[in-house]
This record gives sequence, structure tokens and C-alpha cells, in this order.
Amino acid sequence: MATIAKPSIPALPGARLPFTSGLPRFLTILITAAAVLAPLSLIIYQSLLDAPFFDKHHAGIAAYQFIFADPDFWSALENSLLIATGMTIIAVPLGGVLAFVMERTDFPGKRWLEPMLLVPSFVSPMVLSFGYIVAAGPVGFYSIWATDVFGVVPWGLYSLLAMSVIAGLTHVPNVYVYASSALKNLGSDVEEAARVAGASPFRVAVSVSLPLIMPAMLFSAVLIFFLGLELFGLPLVLGDPEGHLVLSTYLYKLTNKLGTPSYHLMAAVAVCIVALTIPLVLLQRRLLQNVRKYATIKGKAGRIRELPLGKWRWLAVALVYAWLIVAVIVPLTGIALRAFVTNWGFGVKLADALTLDTFRTIWNEPTDVRAIINTILLGVIGGAITVACYTAIGFATHRRNDGWSRVIDYLVLLPRAVPGLLIGLAFLWVFLFFPPLQPLRATMFSMWLAYTVVWLAYGMRLVSSSLLQVSNELEEAARTVGASRGRISREITLPLIRHGLLGSWLLVFMIFEREYSTGVYLLAPGNEVIGASLVSLWQGGAIDIVAALSLVNIVLVAIGLAFALRFGVRLRD
Amino acid sequence: MSELTVENLHLAYGDNPILKGVDMKLERGEVVSLLGPSGSGKTTLLRAVAGLEVPSQGRILIGDKVVFDGSRGVDVPAEGRNLGLVFQSYALWPHKTVFDNVAYGLKLRHANRGDIGERVRSALEQLSLGPLAQRLPHQLSGGQQQRVALARALVYNPPVILLDEPLSNLDAKLREEARAWLRELIVRLQLSALCVTHDQAEALAISDRILLLNGGRIEQQGTPQEMYSSPQTLFTADFMGSNNRLPGRVAEVRDGMALLEGHGWRLRGTAKPSAAPGGEGVGMIRLENIRIAEGPGENRLPAKLSTSMYLGDRWEHLFHVGEARVRAYGNAQLAGDSHWLEVPPQALWVF
Amino acid sequence: MSPRPLLLALALAAAPVVAQTVPAGYPADYAQTIAAAKKEGRVVIYSALDTKAAQPLIKDFNALYPDIKVEYNDMNSTEMYNRFIAESAAGQGGADVMWSSAMDLQVKLVDDGKAMAYMSPEASKLPKWAVYKNEAYGTTYEPAAIIYNKRLITGNEIPHDHASFAKLLETQTAKLKGKVTTYDIEKSGVGFMFVVQDTKYFPGMKELEKGFGATNYRVYASTGNMLEKVSSGEHLLGYNVLGSYALVRSKKDPNLGVVLPKDYTLVLSRVMFIAKGAKNPNAAKVWTDYILSQRGQKMIGGPVELFSVRDDVDAEYTAASLTKELGPNVAKPIPVSSEITQYLDPKKRLEFLADWKKNVAAGSGK
Repeated sequence: MATIAKPSIPALPGARLPFTSGLPRFLTILITAAAVLAPLSLIIYQSLLDAPFFDKHHAGIAAYQFIFADPDFWSALENSLLIATGMTIIAVPLGGVLAFVMERTDFPGKRWLEPMLLVPSFVSPMVLSFGYIVAAGPVGFYSIWATDVFGVVPWGLYSLLAMSVIAGLTHVPNVYVYASSALKNLGSDVEEAARVAGASPFRVAVSVSLPLIMPAMLFSAVLIFFLGLELFGLPLVLGDPEGHLVLSTYLYKLTNKLGTPSYHLMAAVAVCIVALTIPLVLLQRRLLQNVRKYATIKGKAGRIRELPLGKWRWLAVALVYAWLIVAVIVPLTGIALRAFVTNWGFGVKLADALTLDTFRTIWNEPTDVRAIINTILLGVIGGAITVACYTAIGFATHRRNDGWSRVIDYLVLLPRAVPGLLIGLAFLWVFLFFPPLQPLRATMFSMWLAYTVVWLAYGMRLVSSSLLQVSNELEEAARTVGASRGRISREITLPLIRHGLLGSWLLVFMIFEREYSTGVYLLAPGNEVIGASLVSLWQGGAIDIVAALSLVNIVLVAIGLAFALRFGVRLRD
Repeated sequence: MSELTVENLHLAYGDNPILKGVDMKLERGEVVSLLGPSGSGKTTLLRAVAGLEVPSQGRILIGDKVVFDGSRGVDVPAEGRNLGLVFQSYALWPHKTVFDNVAYGLKLRHANRGDIGERVRSALEQLSLGPLAQRLPHQLSGGQQQRVALARALVYNPPVILLDEPLSNLDAKLREEARAWLRELIVRLQLSALCVTHDQAEALAISDRILLLNGGRIEQQGTPQEMYSSPQTLFTADFMGSNNRLPGRVAEVRDGMALLEGHGWRLRGTAKPSAAPGGEGVGMIRLENIRIAEGPGENRLPAKLSTSMYLGDRWEHLFHVGEARVRAYGNAQLAGDSHWLEVPPQALWVF
Repeated sequence: MSPRPLLLALALAAAPVVAQTVPAGYPADYAQTIAAAKKEGRVVIYSALDTKAAQPLIKDFNALYPDIKVEYNDMNSTEMYNRFIAESAAGQGGADVMWSSAMDLQVKLVDDGKAMAYMSPEASKLPKWAVYKNEAYGTTYEPAAIIYNKRLITGNEIPHDHASFAKLLETQTAKLKGKVTTYDIEKSGVGFMFVVQDTKYFPGMKELEKGFGATNYRVYASTGNMLEKVSSGEHLLGYNVLGSYALVRSKKDPNLGVVLPKDYTLVLSRVMFIAKGAKNPNAAKVWTDYILSQRGQKMIGGPVELFSVRDDVDAEYTAASLTKELGPNVAKPIPVSSEITQYLDPKKRLEFLADWKKNVAAGSGK
């Protein structure tokens, strides 16, 4: 007794002053709110004017009157809704089945296949769409082969239906990650029970496993629909030539429709998009809470055993590989091929057109080289700082159920609801018209800040899922032995989530490599990045450079992916 | 002096009230158990004392220091309450060694290095953990982890130690040994402890006093003996021990005794406050107090044997008395299916 | 990260030191301008021409003025305009020189008072239509062309003027379905400008628009896309593409044929002006004068592979060589004047677009 109860320890000096302990948190919240709200409020303000806010202007709803009277707006809205619906219908069941096959069955080669499945979510849609044109467009590499065999090209790329299908197929990974993590939390006993009762693997998936992960499926359906409304790169490349507008490409078109940029109209469209997507974001949030609840209920499920596919094996293999070929191999080989030829298409022998000139051009072009270096730096160093920021925000809301946490929760969801293009423009305004930031405008900082804000929701999900994996009791244990919140964060929670943060860093790296629309307006000499340059180059028509830079971009992502696999990072949240 | 005082504590999760006015005291050197079914609020009460839940009203004092007072807006955060808490899951920090886990509380109190080393080592010795100081938690067995959790809570000598289901994560056999060991440790170190458990046997064995919670209120409190042998409510009677329930009608109440009538039987029993003549009543009797008799007699029941189970040291027989099922212990297997059960009036409580 | 282009700095360091003299025919006080420009040390250019394409100009300029660093920023003409007006409103002027193919936007900026008045000593050597208010100058002479896929459009199918192009659309509707392309005039200012000029010179424009509708034409925001698609055979014909780019590509690309219409060929001229409040006004003057000079124009008509606006240069692509090829009075330069800004009035522009769409829809039978 005496050894423990030595009275030499001073009594604990009461509670920490709430002011000092709350200050870092308050600052974090303040900075986050400023970074999110400054560009957004500029957009809303701009939408209520009839000219650029820095020009002579009058307030009013003229912008809204204009777009609501424009038939193009309505057709864009209709197309957006159609494509979003179409891709949801395609991506959700496919993603669910894919998740079931990968998580639950003895599908051959799963370990090798899993990273491949996620590739489309890490490649810029610009790059993918461009790859589709080169590979499977009317005179694409594969189309010409198909013509040799069938006499005609048995597919088309440019219709609304085709866009929905491509968008659907390339968004399968987004469903897959949610469905498979929900399946991971589900005991295999329920499936075994169904097998014993006489159900085939397919029946098991359809009648047992998938209904049980319904909340996760529902969540991903809303997510896909949301992403469908936000689609930009794909309809820009595939839809524009035929005049198929969607909301974001309509917005982009308004840049020039009146001859001079019509910011007020663009802002009004953006506000409409936000108005459409905010309910979805809120719904998503609600559903996500359900998913979590469900996951914890089922969380104690036992060990997962693989379901033997038996004679279904070949059907599953065919399905998975067919998807893989269409969604990954075709566009990526298209890009790769285009990067190495001078010209292509009908009557061109690729062997005659092979060249490395494009890469030489890039190598000799300081801005392109800089774009590559900047993109790497932005992903590696910027990504690390970004994850640090997300972590700080994560800590500011972690295990706090007060108003501020809820404010942050909603704030982080907002930027994603605005098309990246316009957020980028709004950031340009912020950097132009907010004097303390002016010197930083043409630097990587502006690019980094915009990226960080745009991907807040994604990053916060990564960080908070790491945080949630730290059992509450570990932190409470530290509190009861006398540690303040700050010390708990630094000495208990942070060391425990460092692997998760490392993983988040890699994922943020890949997302930053992939991002393309946000930087378009922030591009300045010195801060070029590949993604934004691609949009610019595509608009300018330097297709060979687009292809080669895309290939470089893909290689960077692949390196990230390889690292992620090497270090066993879970490629999902 | 009371080490811990809780006065009229209320706490709700949203619209769902969990604690509805709880009062309790914990005296120095005393072990008090919070007992109750799940959802009764016992863990919430413990967490409120620790500062991990925020009550809506009431007061909590540790020693004479107010750590929570709903009316004055006082709420000392958990880290300022200087309590020791042992979690059900032990909540050992997986990235720290046993030594560092235990030392953390001392580090936070700015003890000097030498002092920390000495105190941690002696705490580990006390709990027979000495050789394991440099291990990581996942390298320990469940019992060892539990002792580390205890050492971590004890090392800075808190006035009160809070134990949340301290034994529930151990397997059945280990649990009984640990129970004895824990009781011995608490007595030897003269700890003041508040312990949450849902296991009445554990509460009986370990505590000086038991608080039985039911639906956010204290149903009854007292020494283990009082709780077990003179329950004041049906809930308490039912919760403690293994019981038989005999629903019937209270025919009369006189001199503290009640007459309970069922279909084809009449029994005299001790009247509890809720027993009212002429109303429905429930007779409660512990399994060990029923005797299997040879034939009819005073306070005996006719019963049909349904089945018998062999428990090793005795038999447990299951009888049907009308609609009711009655279990009783016996030393031998029974023959035939009609039997008589004797219910001593002082052992039958009529509610 | 340094915002300055590193390689240019290296090129600058490597350039030989040349004694600076006032070019022939320039006023004597030009020496002061050069001295001031050297002191400024750099000139910031916003341009719609690729850095890659502009490289010969920059190198040559640096050979001439090694002390003036060229910070060349290429972006598309809309972004350029966006950035310029935002920067100028924020008082954060970045550009010293604006150089863009969006002639109308450039003229508008001049009309809006965003340009610095500067009478270039070279102005007298330029055609009259290429000089605007002593502030803005047309610097190139780039024809609008029709392109076709050589493997798939052959013999007398190849159009030679606007009428035969319209006729081809009318007669070969089935073959050309989905295979005719031109600028998206809602997205591309240059494309819009071209068709406005077309309505001026080509009486059959309405029929052509119907032909676009009938063949279910495809639209792009840039010449590069059209070249790519016609070369690959996805499309067969491209209308109103930038001839300079097309000619350059057709030299290396056996699939691509280029036609400069014989009835009239529209000519676009990249407009350059010095920004009002430029931080390096003297360097900007020196640069502008260089571009307009015989030496600069020779680069433009040579390795830059645009057409020089001046007649008095000896290079592969010049206004003179084009005139020689087309015959007299066929080339119709779009004048650098406020005439071309009339369609920047939203109402007028929308009317024009609506009219265009109506004709296209009529052609497609919708």
C-alpha cells in the first residue's frame, strides 16, 4: 500500500483554462470557415449582379432570369439528370456485385485485381474520356480493328446513352469502396446459412448480402447521382462536339457565349447546381450516419470465409474482366498509344507513325516540365501539408458534439457542391482582391489552397475514419488520468492514427495528381500543374501534348498506387 | 468524510432521460457497486462522475470539491477531476509500453523522472507486473491487461477509483480468481472504489455496499446481505439471486404476513409493502429455499415434474404448478411426476 | 517556387552582348526608351500563342536585347481576357503586353481604355486596317481555311471555295453525316468572328448553316481539335479553321488537306497592345516594336509559322505570299477596328446565335 499511496505527488492543478485550450481549435475552425466561405460567398454575390462584381454593376436577379429563359440551360439540366440517373443505374448494381465477388468469394487473383479496380477513380475523367476517343471513337484504334472484323463499329461514344454508360462504368469504384467495406463488416454466417439452404452464390449476393448492406448501397447511389450532376471532363470531351450540354459544361460555355465572360451567369448556374446538390449532400450525410450505425451493429461479426463460386466462377471472371477492359484497359491504352504516334485514325499504319517527338517537345518545353515537377510537388509536399490541415480540422471536431463541430461538418461538404472550375475562378478573385493574399496569387500556394478546399470533404472523410478507429475509451482513459484535449491529441490519438494518415497522404497525392478543373483559372507562370494544363491544352487543341502529359500523369498516379500497395495502405476510407 | 457525493443527478441523451435523480455517497475506504440491468444508467452514472458525460442537473462532489453543479454551471472536465478509471475494455494505449501506460498520469502531473520510475515500478510490483514493464499491451494476456489498467489508474493515488465492469472481459474461470484478487487488493490498499457491474454475484462478493439502479433511479441500496436477504421491491428481489415467481391473489395481509392464493394452492409468506389485500400479488422465492417434500402439508404446493438437470454438485428440477414454472434444487433424481414443494413462510416474499 | 521561367533566364545569360543601337528609321530619342527598357529588365506578355510556337521570337528578341527578360505566359484568349480585366480591376496588373487572336476582345479592351497609347515607329509599315487608334496593332495575317481528310475526300469532292463547300454539304449529306466540323461559335470568339465576316462576304451563308444542320455537324472550341479529328478520319471536313496551324500540320500529316477558298479568304490578325499602367512600359514598347519590325515579322513568317502582316519581309509565310497564292483581293483581312466589337453587345450576339441555330435546326429538319 505504502509504495503506491506515497503522498509526494502534487494534487492536479484543476482544469485547464478553457481559453487557452480552446484557442487552437477556434482558430482552426475560423480559418476553415474563411477558406470555404470566402469563395462561395463571392459566387453567390456575383450571381446577384448583372456584370463582374469588380466592374460597373447593378444588383438584381437578371442572371437568373437569363439562364431560366435559355433553352440550353433546361436541356443541360435535363441531360445532367439523365446522365446522373443512367450512371447510378449502371454503377450501383455493378459496384455491388463487384464488391461481393471481391470481398466474399474465392474469385481468382483478387489481390492483384483490387488495385486495378480502383484505377478509374484515380485517373482524371478528362484523360479517360480522351482515351476513349482515341481508342474507341469512330476511328479509334480498337474501332478500326472492329471495322476489320465486323465491317462496322458496333458502338458509339457520343450519345447521351454512351456517356451515361461510360460515366457509370468509370464510377463503379466509388460504389465498390463503400459496398466492400460494408461487406467486410458483415459476418459470413448469414451467407453460409443461405448456401446451406440451397442458394447459389448469385442468389446469396442478391437476396442476402446486398440487402444487408443496403444503407451503404443507398449512400453510394446518392453519391453517384451527385457526382453525375457534377460531371465535367467527360461531357466536355465527349458531349460538347455533338452539342450535348450538361450543367457544368453549360456553365463553361457561358464563359464565352456573350463574347465577354459572363461571370454573373456562370455564378447563377453554379448557385443552381449547388441548390440541386445541397439536398443530396445532406441526404448523403444522413445516410452515412445510418451506414455507420449499421456498421457498428454488424461490427462484431465473425471471421469472413470465402464463398466458393463453383461453376459461377467463369461468369464472374468474365464480368469482372469485361468491366476492367472497358473501364480501364481501353482508355488507358488509347492514351498511351496516342502519346507515341504523330497521327492516327482511318488509313494510318501505326507503325509508320510511331514517334517520341511529343515527349521530346515536352522535355524541351520549360512550362511542361515545370507542370510535371509542380504536380509532383503539389501531390507530395502539398499533399502532406493538406493532410496535416485536414487532421487539424479533424481534431477540432473529433468527439465534440457542439454547434461548431456541426458547422464544420457542413462547411467541409460545401466546396464539392460547386463545380471545381468556378471554385477555381472564385479563388482567383479571392487572391486578386484580398490584399494580404495578392503576392501569393501566382505561386503554388494558391493552387494548393484551392485543391485543399475543394477536396475537404474527401480528405475529412479519410481523416475522420482514421480518427473513428481510435476507440473513444483510449482517449477517455487519457482524460481521466489527467491529460488535456491538446495533449491527448498529440500523445495518444495522433500516434495511433499515423498509419491512417500516411494512407490518407497517398490518397490525397493521387487525388491531387488527378484534379484538373480547379486549377484552370489559377494557372499562372510558375504554378502550372498537369491537370489544369490539360484542360487548357485540350481547349487549345494540342492533342499530342495532351496525350503525352496524360500518360505522365497516369504514370505518377501509378507510382502513388504502387507505393500505396507496398505500404499496405487501404485504398479507401 | 465522503470521498464522493452525488446529489439529485439528472442526465439525458437528447430526449431520452438516462438518470432521473440519483443520490449517493461513497465513504473513504469503501467499495460501492452500481448494479443494474443494461440500460439502468449505471455506466452513465460512473461516466458522469468521471466527467465523461455531462449531466443536466444535480451536483457531484469529490471530497469537498464541487466538480459538477448544474445550477451554477460548474463542470470540471474529466482531466481536472483527478480520478482513476479502469475501463471495461481496459483501454490500454496500444502504442505505449506497459511502463509508459502507467507512467503517463505521472508525467502529466509533472513528477520528476526518477520519481516516475520508482512509483511505476512499485505499482507494477504490487500488481505482479514487474517483468512485463517493457511489453506492449497486445503482448499481454487479458488478466495482465486488466492489472495494467488498474496500475495505470492507481499510480497517481486518486482519492476514488472508478471501475467499469472490471471483470467482464475475463473468461469465466479467470473471473472468479480475479474477483477475489481484486477484493483483496482494494482492502489492502484501502481504496475507495466505485464499481459498475451487471453481475449480481460479482457485486455481492466485491462490495461493501450495493446500489441497485433501475431505469435511472436507485431502486434500493444497502450491504450485500441486506440486498440479498431483505429486498424491498419486486425488482430488487427478482434481480438478486435465482428466483421462482408465483403469481396469485393476495387473500389477506396480517401482522406482516400475507396469504397468497393460486389455482389449487394457498401459501403464507412475508408481506412486502406493495402487497395489498384483495389485489393481484406475486410470490417470490429463491431456488435454494424451496424444499421437495414427501406429501401435502402446511405451505406446500402440488407440482408436476417436467424435467431434471444434473449440475454436478446437485440436481435442478423443473416443476409445473398450474401455469407457473417452479425450479428447485435437490440432492437426488426424482421418481414419478407428482410431487410436493415446501415453501417456508419467511422465505416467501409476497409483493 | 520562383514564378519566373528559369530557362529563359538561362537563355538570356547565354546571349551575346550586343551594343544597342537605335534601329534605322526610329526617332533618335528611342535610345532612351531602350535604356529605360533595359533598366526595367523584363517584359510580361500574355499571349494566346503557345510558348512553344513563340519560342523563336523570344530567342531572337533576347539575342537583340539580352538585358530584357521575356516572361511569356500563354493561355487561351478567354482566360487571358478574364485574367486581364480582373487583375486590372484589382490594381494587380500583371501584363505589360497583351497579344491575342480574339481581335474583338482586344479592340474592346482598347475601347474600354485599358491600353496605353503608343505610336510605334513601325506603324507606317503596316496596312491601314492593322493599326487602331495608335494603341493596338495587327501583327499577323492568318487565313481561315477549309480542311479535309485526304484519304476520304478526293477528286472533285474537294471544295475550292465557299459555294462548293456548301454544295458538297448539300449533295453528300449522307456521306457527311456527323463528319463536318467547325468552331463552336458559342465557345470560340474567333469562330464567331469568322462567321460574322462570312455573312458579310458569302451570300449563301444561310444555306451553308442549313447544310451544317443537315449533316449534323460537330463543333469544337479550337482548331487543334478539328485538325486532330479530320486527320484521324473521324470527321472529313473542317470549316473556318486557322489556316496557319493547318498548313503547318499538313506538311507532316499525310492525311490532312488544306484549302484556302478561292472566292474569298478571311484573314485574322493577332492584335497586340501595351497595357495601360504597365509596370514595364518601355520594355513593352521595345517588344511591340520588335514584333512589328521587319526582323520580328520575318520570324513570324518563318519559324513561328504564322503569316507576317507586313509585305516587305522575305519569309515562307507572308501576307504577300498569301496574296500571290490567292490572287488579288481574295484575302479579306478582318480589320482591327470597333466594327468587330459590335457583336460583343449581348443582345446582338444572342440574336445572331439564335438566328444561326434556327438555320441549323431548319437544315436538320428539326
